[in-house]
Amino acid sequence: MKRLAMVLGLAVFGAGWGLTSAWAARVGERAPDFTATDSNGKVHKLSEYAGKYVVLEWTNRGCPYTQKHYDSGNMQRLQKEWTGRGVIWLTVISSAPGKQGYVTAADENSYVKEVNAAPTAVLLDPTGALGHLYDAKTTPHMYIVNPQGTLIYNGAIDDRATTDVADVNGAKNYVSLALGEAMGGKAVSAPATRPYGCSVKYPN
Amino acid sequence: MRFERQSGFLVLASFFTGCALTLPAAAQAPETHAKVELIADPDSHVSKGTVWVGLQFSLDPGWHIYWRNAGDSGEPPVVRWTLPAGAKAGPLEWPTPVRLGSGSVVDYGYENEVLLMKPIEIEKGAAPSSLPVAADVKYIVCREICIPGKAHVEVEAGTGNGLPPAKTAEWEAKFRKAREELPKRLPVDWSCSARQWDTGIRLRVEGASAVRNAIFFPDEPGLIENSASQKYAASGRGFDLWLTKSQQLLHSAIRLQGVLAVELLDGTRHSYQVAMPVH
Repeated sequence: MKRLAMVLGLAVFGAGWGLTSAWAARVGERAPDFTATDSNGKVHKLSEYAGKYVVLEWTNRGCPYTQKHYDSGNMQRLQKEWTGRGVIWLTVISSAPGKQGYVTAADENSYVKEVNAAPTAVLLDPTGALGHLYDAKTTPHMYIVNPQGTLIYNGAIDDRATTDVADVNGAKNYVSLALGEAMGGKAVSAPATRPYGCSVKYPN
Repeated sequence: MRFERQSGFLVLASFFTGCALTLPAAAQAPETHAKVELIADPDSHVSKGTVWVGLQFSLDPGWHIYWRNAGDSGEPPVVRWTLPAGAKAGPLEWPTPVRLGSGSVVDYGYENEVLLMKPIEIEKGAAPSSLPVAADVKYIVCREICIPGKAHVEVEAGTGNGLPPAKTAEWEAKFRKAREELPKRLPVDWSCSARQWDTGIRLRVEGASAVRNAIFFPDEPGLIENSASQKYAASGRGFDLWLTKSQQLLHSAIRLQGVLAVELLDGTRHSYQVAMPVH
Protein backbone atom coordinates (compact mmCIF):
# COMPACT_ATOMS: atom_id res chain seq x y z
CA MET A 1 0.00 0.00 0.00
CA LYS A 2 2.76 2.38 0.99
CA ARG A 3 4.78 1.52 -2.07
CA LEU A 4 1.74 1.92 -4.28
CA ALA A 5 1.18 5.44 -2.95
CA MET A 6 4.79 6.29 -3.62
CA VAL A 7 4.69 4.93 -7.16
CA LEU A 8 1.54 6.92 -7.85
CA GLY A 9 3.20 10.03 -6.50
CA LEU A 10 6.13 9.53 -8.82
CA ALA A 11 3.93 8.71 -11.77
CA VAL A 12 1.83 11.83 -11.35
CA PHE A 13 4.59 14.28 -10.69
CA GLY A 14 7.47 12.77 -12.59
CA ALA A 15 10.17 14.31 -10.45
CA GLY A 16 10.74 13.87 -6.78
CA TRP A 17 12.15 11.17 -4.63
CA GLY A 18 13.57 7.97 -5.96
CA LEU A 19 12.67 4.66 -4.39
CA THR A 20 16.22 4.51 -3.11
CA SER A 21 15.58 7.35 -0.65
CA ALA A 22 13.80 5.00 1.75
CA TRP A 23 14.69 5.65 5.35
CA ALA A 24 17.67 3.95 6.88
CA ALA A 25 16.32 3.14 10.32
CA ARG A 26 12.80 4.19 11.05
CA VAL A 27 10.92 3.48 14.25
CA GLY A 28 8.26 0.85 13.74
CA GLU A 29 10.20 -0.83 10.98
CA ARG A 30 12.66 -3.71 11.07
CA ALA A 31 16.06 -2.60 12.36
CA PRO A 32 18.65 -3.17 9.64
CA ASP A 33 20.75 -6.23 10.38
CA PHE A 34 24.51 -5.78 10.55
CA THR A 35 27.74 -7.53 11.29
CA ALA A 36 30.46 -5.58 13.10
CA THR A 37 33.65 -6.30 15.00
CA ASP A 38 34.19 -5.13 18.58
CA SER A 39 37.33 -3.85 20.29
CA ASN A 40 38.20 -7.40 21.37
CA GLY A 41 37.96 -8.76 17.86
CA LYS A 42 34.63 -10.47 18.44
CA VAL A 43 32.06 -10.32 15.67
CA HIS A 44 28.51 -9.23 16.54
CA LYS A 45 25.48 -9.75 14.36
CA LEU A 46 22.31 -7.92 15.32
CA SER A 47 20.01 -10.79 14.33
CA GLU A 48 21.86 -13.10 16.73
CA TYR A 49 20.43 -11.00 19.56
CA ALA A 50 16.84 -11.78 18.55
CA GLY A 51 14.81 -12.19 21.71
CA LYS A 52 16.66 -9.42 23.53
CA TYR A 53 16.52 -5.68 23.61
CA VAL A 54 19.53 -4.08 21.92
CA VAL A 55 20.68 -0.51 22.54
CA LEU A 56 23.00 1.16 20.02
CA GLU A 57 24.95 4.14 21.34
CA TRP A 58 27.07 6.25 18.99
CA THR A 59 30.02 7.77 20.79
CA ASN A 60 33.06 10.03 20.33
CA ARG A 61 35.06 10.65 23.47
CA GLY A 62 36.37 14.00 22.17
CA CYS A 63 32.88 15.42 21.75
CA PRO A 64 31.73 17.69 24.60
CA TYR A 65 28.16 16.37 24.40
CA THR A 66 29.44 12.82 24.86
CA GLN A 67 31.78 13.97 27.63
CA LYS A 68 28.81 15.36 29.52
CA HIS A 69 27.37 11.86 29.81
CA TYR A 70 30.66 10.09 30.59
CA ASP A 71 32.18 12.71 32.93
CA SER A 72 28.96 12.67 34.95
CA GLY A 73 28.89 8.87 34.96
CA ASN A 74 25.44 8.99 33.41
CA MET A 75 26.24 6.77 30.44
CA GLN A 76 28.07 4.20 32.57
CA ARG A 77 25.10 4.10 34.98
CA LEU A 78 22.71 3.47 32.11
CA GLN A 79 24.95 0.77 30.66
CA LYS A 80 25.18 -1.01 34.04
CA GLU A 81 21.51 -0.69 34.80
CA TRP A 82 20.20 -1.96 31.47
CA THR A 83 22.79 -4.67 30.77
CA GLY A 84 21.97 -5.84 34.32
CA ARG A 85 18.42 -6.29 33.12
CA GLY A 86 19.41 -8.40 30.12
CA VAL A 87 19.76 -5.65 27.52
CA ILE A 88 22.56 -5.91 24.93
CA TRP A 89 24.28 -2.51 24.87
CA LEU A 90 26.48 -1.87 21.86
CA THR A 91 28.54 1.30 21.83
CA VAL A 92 29.54 2.27 18.28
CA ILE A 93 32.50 4.40 17.18
CA SER A 94 32.15 5.61 13.59
CA SER A 95 34.96 8.18 13.66
CA ALA A 96 37.23 7.77 10.64
CA PRO A 97 41.02 7.42 11.03
CA GLY A 98 42.53 10.87 11.59
CA LYS A 99 39.26 12.31 12.86
CA GLN A 100 38.16 13.14 16.38
CA GLY A 101 37.14 10.09 18.34
CA TYR A 102 38.94 7.55 16.17
CA VAL A 103 40.50 4.87 18.34
CA THR A 104 42.42 1.66 18.01
CA ALA A 105 41.02 -1.43 19.69
CA ALA A 106 43.70 -1.33 22.42
CA ASP A 107 43.05 2.36 23.07
CA GLU A 108 39.38 1.75 23.43
CA ASN A 109 39.81 -1.17 25.80
CA SER A 110 41.93 0.87 28.16
CA TYR A 111 39.49 3.79 27.93
CA VAL A 112 36.55 1.54 28.80
CA LYS A 113 38.46 0.45 31.93
CA GLU A 114 39.53 3.99 32.78
CA VAL A 115 36.01 5.42 32.76
CA ASN A 116 34.30 2.26 34.05
CA ALA A 117 32.13 1.95 31.00
CA ALA A 118 29.97 -1.16 30.94
CA PRO A 119 28.59 -1.77 27.46
CA THR A 120 28.21 -5.34 26.22
CA ALA A 121 30.76 -4.41 23.54
CA VAL A 122 32.24 -1.46 21.67
CA LEU A 123 31.87 -1.85 17.90
CA LEU A 124 34.60 -0.25 15.81
CA ASP A 125 33.20 1.23 12.61
CA PRO A 126 36.02 3.32 11.09
CA THR A 127 34.52 3.08 7.58
CA GLY A 128 31.23 4.50 8.86
CA ALA A 129 29.30 1.62 7.28
CA LEU A 130 27.26 0.87 10.39
CA GLY A 131 26.75 4.58 11.05
CA HIS A 132 25.38 5.11 7.57
CA LEU A 133 23.24 1.98 7.77
CA TYR A 134 21.40 3.58 10.70
CA ASP A 135 21.96 7.16 9.50
CA ALA A 136 23.53 8.05 12.83
CA LYS A 137 23.91 11.84 12.94
CA THR A 138 25.40 12.75 16.29
CA THR A 139 27.31 11.62 19.32
CA PRO A 140 25.49 10.56 21.31
CA HIS A 141 22.75 9.13 19.06
CA MET A 142 20.72 6.30 20.55
CA TYR A 143 18.66 3.49 19.02
CA ILE A 144 16.70 0.67 20.65
CA VAL A 145 15.77 -2.58 18.92
CA ASN A 146 13.12 -4.76 20.57
CA PRO A 147 13.28 -8.57 20.94
CA GLN A 148 11.30 -8.95 17.68
CA GLY A 149 13.94 -6.98 15.79
CA THR A 150 11.84 -3.83 15.37
CA LEU A 151 13.34 -0.41 15.95
CA ILE A 152 11.43 1.18 18.85
CA TYR A 153 13.55 4.24 19.55
CA ASN A 154 15.71 6.57 17.46
CA GLY A 155 16.99 9.83 18.89
CA ALA A 156 18.58 11.74 21.72
CA ILE A 157 19.75 10.32 25.00
CA ASP A 158 17.67 12.87 26.93
CA ASP A 159 15.76 16.10 26.65
CA ARG A 160 18.57 18.51 27.66
CA ALA A 161 20.48 19.38 24.52
CA THR A 162 23.48 20.95 26.23
CA THR A 163 27.08 20.18 27.11
CA ASP A 164 26.55 21.02 30.81
CA VAL A 165 27.13 18.17 33.23
CA ALA A 166 24.71 19.94 35.57
CA ASP A 167 21.89 19.22 33.10
CA VAL A 168 22.12 15.44 33.52
CA ASN A 169 20.18 15.49 36.78
CA GLY A 170 16.56 16.24 36.15
CA ALA A 171 16.73 15.42 32.46
CA LYS A 172 14.13 13.08 31.02
CA ASN A 173 16.19 10.14 29.80
CA TYR A 174 14.53 8.91 26.63
CA VAL A 175 16.43 5.60 26.56
CA SER A 176 15.36 4.56 30.05
CA LEU A 177 11.86 5.81 29.38
CA ALA A 178 11.53 3.77 26.17
CA LEU A 179 13.09 0.61 27.63
CA GLY A 180 10.95 0.86 30.76
CA GLU A 181 7.78 1.36 28.79
CA ALA A 182 8.53 -1.41 26.28
CA MET A 183 9.47 -3.92 28.97
CA GLY A 184 6.29 -3.00 30.82
CA GLY A 185 4.24 -3.84 27.75
CA LYS A 186 3.43 -0.22 27.01
CA ALA A 187 3.81 1.78 23.83
CA VAL A 188 6.93 3.95 23.73
CA SER A 189 5.69 7.48 24.39
CA ALA A 190 8.61 9.32 22.76
CA PRO A 191 9.84 6.96 20.01
CA ALA A 192 11.65 9.52 17.83
CA THR A 193 13.40 12.65 19.08
CA ARG A 194 16.01 14.95 17.63
CA PRO A 195 19.39 13.46 18.55
CA TYR A 196 21.66 16.16 19.85
CA GLY A 197 25.43 16.32 19.87
CA CYS A 198 28.48 16.66 17.66
CA SER A 199 28.28 15.37 14.11
CA VAL A 200 29.49 11.79 13.63
CA LYS A 201 33.01 12.09 12.20
CA TYR A 202 32.53 10.03 9.06
CA PRO A 203 35.26 9.69 6.43
CA ASN A 204 35.07 12.50 3.86
CA MET B 1 42.62 13.39 23.83
CA ARG B 2 40.37 16.14 25.13
CA PHE B 3 41.04 19.40 23.48
CA GLU B 4 38.45 21.23 25.57
CA ARG B 5 40.03 20.02 28.76
CA GLN B 6 43.46 21.06 27.67
CA SER B 7 42.36 24.56 26.80
CA GLY B 8 40.64 24.83 30.19
CA PHE B 9 43.87 23.77 31.84
CA LEU B 10 45.78 26.42 29.97
CA VAL B 11 43.44 29.11 31.25
CA LEU B 12 44.06 28.00 34.81
CA ALA B 13 47.78 27.75 34.26
CA SER B 14 48.00 31.28 32.96
CA PHE B 15 45.82 32.55 35.77
CA PHE B 16 48.00 31.12 38.49
CA THR B 17 51.38 31.82 37.00
CA GLY B 18 50.74 34.81 34.79
CA CYS B 19 51.80 37.42 37.35
CA ALA B 20 55.14 35.81 38.07
CA LEU B 21 56.25 34.49 34.72
CA THR B 22 56.23 35.42 31.12
CA LEU B 23 54.29 32.72 29.37
CA PRO B 24 54.65 31.72 25.76
CA ALA B 25 52.06 33.50 23.65
CA ALA B 26 50.20 30.29 22.91
CA ALA B 27 49.34 29.80 26.56
CA GLN B 28 47.94 33.25 27.18
CA ALA B 29 44.49 32.77 25.78
CA PRO B 30 42.29 29.73 25.34
CA GLU B 31 41.35 28.78 21.81
CA THR B 32 37.75 29.84 21.79
CA HIS B 33 37.38 30.42 18.03
CA ALA B 34 34.53 32.82 18.69
CA LYS B 35 34.45 36.36 20.00
CA VAL B 36 31.14 37.50 21.46
CA GLU B 37 30.22 41.16 21.95
CA LEU B 38 27.00 42.89 22.87
CA ILE B 39 26.48 46.00 20.78
CA ALA B 40 23.70 48.56 20.59
CA ASP B 41 22.16 50.14 17.52
CA PRO B 42 23.45 53.74 17.57
CA ASP B 43 20.26 54.82 15.82
CA SER B 44 17.93 53.62 18.56
CA HIS B 45 17.18 55.90 21.46
CA VAL B 46 15.36 55.24 24.67
CA SER B 47 12.91 57.99 23.75
CA LYS B 48 11.72 55.99 20.71
CA GLY B 49 10.29 53.23 22.89
CA THR B 50 12.35 50.44 21.35
CA VAL B 51 16.08 49.99 21.64
CA TRP B 52 17.91 47.43 19.54
CA VAL B 53 20.85 45.48 20.87
CA GLY B 54 22.65 42.60 19.23
CA LEU B 55 25.01 39.75 19.99
CA GLN B 56 27.90 39.98 17.59
CA PHE B 57 29.70 36.67 17.00
CA SER B 58 33.06 36.95 15.23
CA LEU B 59 34.29 33.51 14.27
CA ASP B 60 37.66 32.16 13.25
CA PRO B 61 37.84 31.02 9.61
CA GLY B 62 36.01 27.72 9.08
CA TRP B 63 34.25 27.80 12.46
CA HIS B 64 30.51 28.17 12.81
CA ILE B 65 27.69 28.64 15.28
CA TYR B 66 24.11 27.53 14.77
CA TRP B 67 20.76 28.88 13.64
CA ARG B 68 17.61 28.58 15.80
CA ASN B 69 17.12 25.12 14.22
CA ALA B 70 20.67 23.79 14.22
CA GLY B 71 19.88 20.97 11.80
CA ASP B 72 21.44 17.55 12.39
CA SER B 73 24.04 18.47 15.00
CA GLY B 74 25.01 21.34 17.28
CA GLU B 75 22.79 23.76 19.15
CA PRO B 76 21.86 27.43 18.82
CA PRO B 77 23.29 29.88 21.35
CA VAL B 78 21.28 30.18 24.55
CA VAL B 79 21.08 33.65 26.08
CA ARG B 80 19.99 34.87 29.49
CA TRP B 81 19.25 38.58 29.43
CA THR B 82 19.48 41.01 32.31
CA LEU B 83 17.49 44.21 31.83
CA PRO B 84 16.67 47.13 34.09
CA ALA B 85 13.15 47.59 35.42
CA GLY B 86 10.80 49.08 32.87
CA ALA B 87 12.39 47.24 29.95
CA LYS B 88 11.10 44.11 28.26
CA ALA B 89 12.99 41.94 25.80
CA GLY B 90 11.48 40.99 22.46
CA PRO B 91 12.41 37.90 20.43
CA LEU B 92 15.91 37.28 19.12
CA GLU B 93 16.04 37.90 15.37
CA TRP B 94 17.91 35.25 13.36
CA PRO B 95 19.40 36.19 9.99
CA THR B 96 18.98 33.62 7.22
CA PRO B 97 21.52 30.86 7.83
CA VAL B 98 23.65 28.86 5.44
CA ARG B 99 23.75 25.11 4.95
CA LEU B 100 26.82 23.63 6.62
CA GLY B 101 28.52 20.29 6.30
CA SER B 102 28.26 17.68 3.65
CA GLY B 103 27.39 14.06 3.30
CA SER B 104 24.85 12.66 5.72
CA VAL B 105 25.11 15.29 8.48
CA VAL B 106 23.97 18.78 7.51
CA ASP B 107 23.53 21.76 9.82
CA TYR B 108 22.21 25.31 9.58
CA GLY B 109 24.29 28.14 10.94
CA TYR B 110 26.65 31.02 10.43
CA GLU B 111 30.28 31.36 9.47
CA ASN B 112 32.61 34.39 9.76
CA GLU B 113 30.31 36.72 11.65
CA VAL B 114 26.68 37.21 12.56
CA LEU B 115 24.66 39.70 14.56
CA LEU B 116 21.67 38.30 16.45
CA MET B 117 19.50 41.34 17.11
CA LYS B 118 17.02 41.80 19.89
CA PRO B 119 14.52 44.60 20.48
CA ILE B 120 14.18 45.94 24.00
CA GLU B 121 10.85 47.62 24.64
CA ILE B 122 10.71 50.47 27.11
CA GLU B 123 7.47 50.41 29.04
CA LYS B 124 5.31 53.51 28.90
CA GLY B 125 6.03 55.81 31.80
CA ALA B 126 9.51 54.44 32.31
CA ALA B 127 11.99 57.13 31.39
CA PRO B 128 15.53 55.83 31.74
CA SER B 129 18.24 58.02 30.27
CA SER B 130 20.04 54.92 29.10
CA LEU B 131 19.65 51.20 29.27
CA PRO B 132 22.31 48.91 30.71
CA VAL B 133 21.80 45.50 29.10
CA ALA B 134 23.69 42.35 30.01
CA ALA B 135 23.65 38.92 28.43
CA ASP B 136 25.00 35.57 29.55
CA VAL B 137 25.59 33.53 26.44
CA LYS B 138 26.23 29.82 26.13
CA TYR B 139 27.11 28.54 22.70
CA ILE B 140 28.84 25.75 20.88
CA VAL B 141 31.28 26.60 18.10
CA CYS B 142 32.30 23.88 15.66
CA ARG B 143 34.54 23.20 12.73
CA GLU B 144 35.65 19.59 12.52
CA ILE B 145 35.25 19.47 16.26
CA CYS B 146 33.00 21.34 18.68
CA ILE B 147 33.95 23.53 21.61
CA PRO B 148 31.45 24.91 24.10
CA GLY B 149 31.87 28.53 25.06
CA LYS B 150 30.29 31.06 27.34
CA ALA B 151 30.46 34.80 27.66
CA HIS B 152 29.12 37.56 29.86
CA VAL B 153 28.69 40.72 27.81
CA GLU B 154 27.26 44.14 28.57
CA VAL B 155 26.38 47.31 26.74
CA GLU B 156 24.93 50.67 27.62
CA ALA B 157 22.15 50.89 25.06
CA GLY B 158 19.90 53.67 23.93
CA THR B 159 22.32 56.49 24.55
CA GLY B 160 22.64 57.36 20.88
CA ASN B 161 25.64 59.46 20.05
CA GLY B 162 27.74 58.80 23.09
CA LEU B 163 30.03 56.60 21.01
CA PRO B 164 33.13 57.68 19.15
CA PRO B 165 32.30 58.31 15.46
CA ALA B 166 34.25 55.31 14.17
CA LYS B 167 32.42 52.97 16.55
CA THR B 168 29.08 54.52 15.64
CA ALA B 169 29.71 53.87 11.95
CA GLU B 170 30.90 50.32 12.60
CA TRP B 171 27.91 49.38 14.73
CA GLU B 172 25.46 51.06 12.36
CA ALA B 173 26.90 49.02 9.51
CA LYS B 174 26.53 45.78 11.47
CA PHE B 175 22.87 46.45 12.27
CA ARG B 176 22.19 47.48 8.67
CA LYS B 177 23.77 44.26 7.38
CA ALA B 178 21.89 42.10 9.90
CA ARG B 179 18.56 43.71 8.93
CA GLU B 180 19.29 42.97 5.28
CA GLU B 181 19.98 39.34 6.16
CA LEU B 182 16.73 38.84 8.06
CA PRO B 183 14.04 36.90 6.20
CA LYS B 184 11.30 39.20 4.92
CA ARG B 185 7.61 38.72 4.28
CA LEU B 186 6.84 36.86 1.07
CA PRO B 187 6.21 39.26 -1.86
CA VAL B 188 2.46 39.87 -2.15
CA ASP B 189 2.21 38.29 -5.59
CA TRP B 190 3.94 35.09 -4.49
CA SER B 191 2.12 32.24 -2.76
CA CYS B 192 3.31 29.03 -1.13
CA SER B 193 1.60 25.69 -0.69
CA ALA B 194 2.77 22.26 0.42
CA ARG B 195 1.67 18.73 -0.39
CA GLN B 196 3.02 15.52 1.03
CA TRP B 197 3.52 11.91 0.10
CA ASP B 198 4.97 9.00 2.01
CA THR B 199 8.54 10.13 1.87
CA GLY B 200 8.46 13.76 0.85
CA ILE B 201 6.91 17.19 0.77
CA ARG B 202 6.55 19.34 -2.31
CA LEU B 203 6.82 23.06 -1.54
CA ARG B 204 5.21 24.95 -4.45
CA VAL B 205 5.82 28.65 -4.93
CA GLU B 206 3.54 30.38 -7.42
CA GLY B 207 3.90 33.86 -8.79
CA ALA B 208 7.68 33.83 -8.47
CA SER B 209 9.59 34.82 -11.57
CA ALA B 210 13.26 35.20 -12.44
CA VAL B 211 14.24 32.65 -9.80
CA ARG B 212 17.28 30.50 -10.47
CA ASN B 213 17.41 28.36 -7.38
CA ALA B 214 15.92 28.02 -3.91
CA ILE B 215 16.49 26.35 -0.58
CA PHE B 216 14.24 25.87 2.41
CA PHE B 217 15.37 26.04 6.05
CA PRO B 218 12.81 24.35 8.34
CA ASP B 219 11.99 25.95 11.69
CA GLU B 220 11.14 22.57 13.16
CA PRO B 221 13.69 19.79 13.58
CA GLY B 222 12.68 16.26 12.64
CA LEU B 223 10.40 17.28 9.79
CA ILE B 224 12.62 17.10 6.72
CA GLU B 225 15.88 15.28 6.14
CA ASN B 226 18.47 18.03 6.37
CA SER B 227 21.11 16.19 4.38
CA ALA B 228 18.84 15.31 1.44
CA SER B 229 19.29 17.48 -1.63
CA GLN B 230 16.34 19.79 -2.22
CA LYS B 231 15.41 19.35 -5.85
CA TYR B 232 14.53 22.65 -7.52
CA ALA B 233 12.19 22.49 -10.51
CA ALA B 234 11.03 25.58 -12.38
CA SER B 235 7.45 25.59 -13.53
CA GLY B 236 5.43 27.95 -15.69
CA ARG B 237 4.05 29.83 -12.73
CA GLY B 238 6.94 29.62 -10.32
CA PHE B 239 8.86 26.67 -8.94
CA ASP B 240 8.68 23.54 -6.83
CA LEU B 241 11.10 22.48 -4.15
CA TRP B 242 11.09 18.77 -3.34
CA LEU B 243 11.90 18.06 0.29
CA THR B 244 12.55 14.62 1.77
CA LYS B 245 10.80 13.76 5.02
CA SER B 246 12.94 12.95 8.03
CA GLN B 247 12.93 9.36 9.23
CA GLN B 248 12.18 10.88 12.64
CA LEU B 249 8.75 12.00 11.38
CA LEU B 250 6.38 9.18 12.35
CA HIS B 251 3.10 10.87 11.46
CA SER B 252 1.89 13.03 8.59
CA ALA B 253 3.37 16.49 8.33
CA ILE B 254 0.88 19.11 9.46
CA ARG B 255 2.62 22.39 8.91
CA LEU B 256 5.67 23.61 7.05
CA GLN B 257 7.29 26.70 8.49
CA GLY B 258 10.69 28.20 7.97
CA VAL B 259 12.81 30.37 5.74
CA LEU B 260 12.69 30.16 1.96
CA ALA B 261 15.87 31.53 0.41
CA VAL B 262 15.98 32.21 -3.31
CA GLU B 263 18.64 33.17 -5.79
CA LEU B 264 17.35 35.28 -8.68
CA LEU B 265 18.59 35.22 -12.27
CA ASP B 266 20.37 38.52 -11.61
CA GLY B 267 22.44 36.79 -8.92
CA THR B 268 20.83 38.53 -5.93
CA ARG B 269 19.67 36.51 -2.95
CA HIS B 270 16.51 37.06 -0.95
CA SER B 271 14.86 35.19 1.86
CA TYR B 272 11.36 34.99 3.21
CA GLN B 273 9.70 33.69 6.35
CA VAL B 274 6.96 31.32 5.22
CA ALA B 275 4.37 29.10 6.90
CA MET B 276 1.72 26.91 5.39
CA PRO B 277 -0.38 23.84 6.13
CA VAL B 278 0.77 20.61 4.49
CA HIS B 279 -1.94 18.82 2.53
